[in-house]
Amino acid sequence: MGTALVVSESSARRYALRDPDVRLMLQVRDDDAAAFEELVLRYQARLVTVLEHLVGNRDQAEDLTQDVFLRVYRARKRYVAGAKFSTWLYTIANNVASNAIRSRMRHPEVTLQPRDSGPMGARPLDVMLQASSGQMPARQLDKAEMREIVRLALEALSERQRMAVLLNKFENMSYADIGETMGLTPQAVKSLLSRARGNLREVLQPYFQHGERPTIEGHNPGSV
Amino acid sequence: MSQTPDNADLSMEEQLVAYLDGELEAEEARRIEELLSNNPQLRQTLQQLDHTWELLDELDTQEVAENFTQTTLEMVAVAAADDVRQSLAEAPRRRRRRWALVGGSLLAAGLVGFLAVIFLLPNRNPNRQLVEDLPLLLEVEQYRQIDDFHLLQMLREEGLFVEEDVDQAEQEVDAAQEDGSGR
Repeated sequence: MGTALVVSESSARRYALRDPDVRLMLQVRDDDAAAFEELVLRYQARLVTVLEHLVGNRDQAEDLTQDVFLRVYRARKRYVAGAKFSTWLYTIANNVASNAIRSRMRHPEVTLQPRDSGPMGARPLDVMLQASSGQMPARQLDKAEMREIVRLALEALSERQRMAVLLNKFENMSYADIGETMGLTPQAVKSLLSRARGNLREVLQPYFQHGERPTIEGHNPGSV
Repeated sequence: MSQTPDNADLSMEEQLVAYLDGELEAEEARRIEELLSNNPQLRQTLQQLDHTWELLDELDTQEVAENFTQTTLEMVAVAAADDVRQSLAEAPRRRRRRWALVGGSLLAAGLVGFLAVIFLLPNRNPNRQLVEDLPLLLEVEQYRQIDDFHLLQMLREEGLFVEEDVDQAEQEVDAAQEDGSGR
């Protein structure tokens, strides 16, 4: 085999036994198309979820998800079995998302496009107005509004805080795995998550205690 | 270790979050539980952190359209085919480059070997030896008439050949003087 393995064969076998996705990826490395399809099926929705919350756009999240899978395929021969396949996958996803966000910052006109996939559709304020005029059940509004508030609070976090929160919340990753994915020490992840959750509390708590809408503009989303 | 109140709050919040995430060692977790049992404000902070974390469950988890998998796989297949095509297109160029590299290396090795032979083993060159022996070869017939090398050596030490040299030098001086007066 031409691939230079960093871990021993016995370690790779152990990882493959523990994590079925590692096993699948090793099959992908050996050009097994069915294994690749299985990985796509297992991770596509999870990736779209995380990437959508990261970049704030559903269409872009789907494009980025496909880009991630393309990179996985192209990197298959260089894949080295690690303890968890998901940390490797989300490392790629993190890089892809960071590049997309940086690119968008360099070309700010892209941000002028209307958000097309928020919890309340293309125009959340319009939906709220429609609801308040009696065309939508109040219960649905509450749910949708709450979702929108939470989404805004998440968007107010810095990119790194958001990624750490999403990996922790949606992927149930430990601090060590998040650190591996984001290139940080577990201690740095601990601080990052603490600041993120402190920020979420600061933004969300007044709303849920006193009904005050969060002042996201006053918040500093760039702070890490 | 002394900490400012802000740092201490931050550090405590870090510990509370890590406690909620189950990331503390047993001993640290026990210490936090003890603090929580004695501090209502800390308990409130913990509850708020926990509550806002649970609110994230409200965020959408996405499902993808049925054809998404298909388009992903097709896109990867097209990209893979492009990679193969590109690799095949580049193969002759790569091969030419490899052959040029091999040829160049052989040429360089040959040149180095040749230079090493020339400079490190000069006596192996038969022509060089002939050039060095030329004065002897020109007079070899005369030398053959004298069998004894020691005799030649003795005659040289006696100054027999010196006289010849002096005569020859005098003749050269005379010739030079005649040449000068002739002008």
